[in-house]
Amino acid sequence: MANTSRGTGGLAFDPKKRSLPSELNIFIALILIVLIFEALGQILPYMNNQSFLFDTRDRFDSIFNEARLRIIILQVSIIGIIALGVTQVIISGGIDLSSGPLVGATAMIAMSFAQTELVNGNPNPKAVFGEWAFDLPVLIPVVVGLAFGAFIGSVNGMLIAFTRIPPFIATLGMFLICRGIAQAWTRGKPVSFPTDSFAFIGKGMMPVAWFIGLAFILHFIMRYTVYGKHTYAIGSNEDAARMSGINVERHKVMVYMIASMLAAFAAIILSSKNLTAQSGMGIFYELYAIAMAVIGGVSLTGGRGSIIGTVLGAMVFGVIQSGFTYIKLDAFFQLMAMGTIIISAVVLDKVRQERATKRS
Amino acid sequence: MKKVLLAAGLAALMSSSALAETIGASIARFDDNGLTIMRNGMTAHIDKLSGVELQMEDAQDDVARQLDQINNFIASGVDAIIVNAVDTNATEAMSNAAAAAGVPLVYVNRQPINLDTMPDGQAFVASNEIESGTLEAFQICRNLRAAGKSGGATGYLMNGQLSNQAAVQRSKDVHDVIGMDMCNFMTLIDEQTANWSRDEAQDLMTNWMSSGEPFDFVIANNDEMAIGAIQAMKAGGMDMAEIQVGGVDATPDALVAMAAGDLDVTVFQDLAGQGAGSIDTALALARGESVDKTVFIPFILVTPENAADFQ
Repeated sequence: MANTSRGTGGLAFDPKKRSLPSELNIFIALILIVLIFEALGQILPYMNNQSFLFDTRDRFDSIFNEARLRIIILQVSIIGIIALGVTQVIISGGIDLSSGPLVGATAMIAMSFAQTELVNGNPNPKAVFGEWAFDLPVLIPVVVGLAFGAFIGSVNGMLIAFTRIPPFIATLGMFLICRGIAQAWTRGKPVSFPTDSFAFIGKGMMPVAWFIGLAFILHFIMRYTVYGKHTYAIGSNEDAARMSGINVERHKVMVYMIASMLAAFAAIILSSKNLTAQSGMGIFYELYAIAMAVIGGVSLTGGRGSIIGTVLGAMVFGVIQSGFTYIKLDAFFQLMAMGTIIISAVVLDKVRQERATKRS
Repeated sequence: MKKVLLAAGLAALMSSSALAETIGASIARFDDNGLTIMRNGMTAHIDKLSGVELQMEDAQDDVARQLDQINNFIASGVDAIIVNAVDTNATEAMSNAAAAAGVPLVYVNRQPINLDTMPDGQAFVASNEIESGTLEAFQICRNLRAAGKSGGATGYLMNGQLSNQAAVQRSKDVHDVIGMDMCNFMTLIDEQTANWSRDEAQDLMTNWMSSGEPFDFVIANNDEMAIGAIQAMKAGGMDMAEIQVGGVDATPDALVAMAAGDLDVTVFQDLAGQGAGSIDTALALARGESVDKTVFIPFILVTPENAADFQ
């Protein structure tokens, strides 16, 4: 079985022709970036031979600077969760631009049901609803948030599947609608001071645990279930998928719904981590999430990519972000440097891929 | 004789209650948080003055509507007009309309584009951004000295959006304060932007802490970033009593953080004071008194001692 049906589109699978996994490219890029920062730490005169990833001040038991390793992944975990959802959308041949504003809207809505009545013994200065909405069990804001995400996602999916408008436009419209909902919910006022149980969802390294856990689940789904296989099939060739009996419309609705639910969950973690929800939350998240997937080797034309790649793509972002503060790069140059690194990483991937195709 | 008596009588009458001065005010939007505080400051101040009437209109963020409102004020013969401009680039026409009719005009909170060429009888009332960063950094400096760290203290500066004028100004003020003789014991290890955001500030602070470099203070361009830094430091197990943290805005969240002993300094933009100041300036202009073109309402320093006044 293993040597006949692993490829997409029913192509025969020949283990001898199998090249290295494409995720290797991005892993190499990741190592390269780390090495560059490590070298800069040695070269730049003001760095005092500090190391990027290793413990040079003897603060930790291991040889690594554990604090740095933690923040590298922590700071990309929340957008990373969105990227997991976006990955399956892009693999199915679509795109989702609405995730960033959806984060803002979901955070506002969920946090309104997670407020605590007393803050240091004083009444909550940010109360959205009356008495009844204080100190609710943590399940309520989470379910409300996820339900809102599912709703937005299914609207996205139905628009794309049934009215056939391009995903770019459908989700761009939803992008504006969600940002509008976020702002209108409390007329722009932030919502703060959640219950302790809600605050636990995103406390400390919890976002990382969610990210890794969800990545495992998504990886399993995309790799080993019918859902995953159909997603790849639709992204590779939609007409062929339809003719082979896949209910493409229903599947697309599912894909967008899952993506939006993941974005909604990211919003819950984000507002819990920050102990506040603000209508401006999630700015550019949709673009960073897409960029993480693309850096990780997910093809914007659909049908190609993997969850592992996206996780590595997220790591690239984390390393860059930490690296910039590590070498104390002037804030005014960071965006330029980041853009350059992103483009280089994708170019490297592309070149190696083309070489691989030529070989086979 | 009769005439003189009449005049005297009239004058006496006018100088007492009969002289009801009317001020017309056009506010950019009624449903804006900050502007609502300013509006309430105006009405509260009017209540304290006798014989002054205030007619307030909501421009609903519509430039054309605002200009119509001003023309209506002029037509109904108000003594002075206060404008919180919807679009600060569209103030030229408003200035011209008021000047042509000889009605004094006061801009409040938002700086008109034609500030330098404003006709006589017009003024601008607001707070000067240069004060906020200076007050914040100077208080941190004083606190550090009081904590016995005048021999040398290191810390971080968190910038707001790099494209934002207030952020650039506040950061410059911090550098200026650190350049003073009294505060030059302070050294910045690094400064980076966290885009006004609590989330980005958390990540930035954690990144800074991962270098393991000891530090004594964190100065942020706004409260949200200061709170983000505090959350990161607490997650990292740092003792907040040892670190001086400053922000700007005195938001409700910040005051809670201050009550908890985490935030040490913030700065309050006195929006209600701006509203009251605009009334006083409008009245002064209406009475023909000379008024400076720009009237600055001071920012107020908020520390744990006076934090309760702002809650």
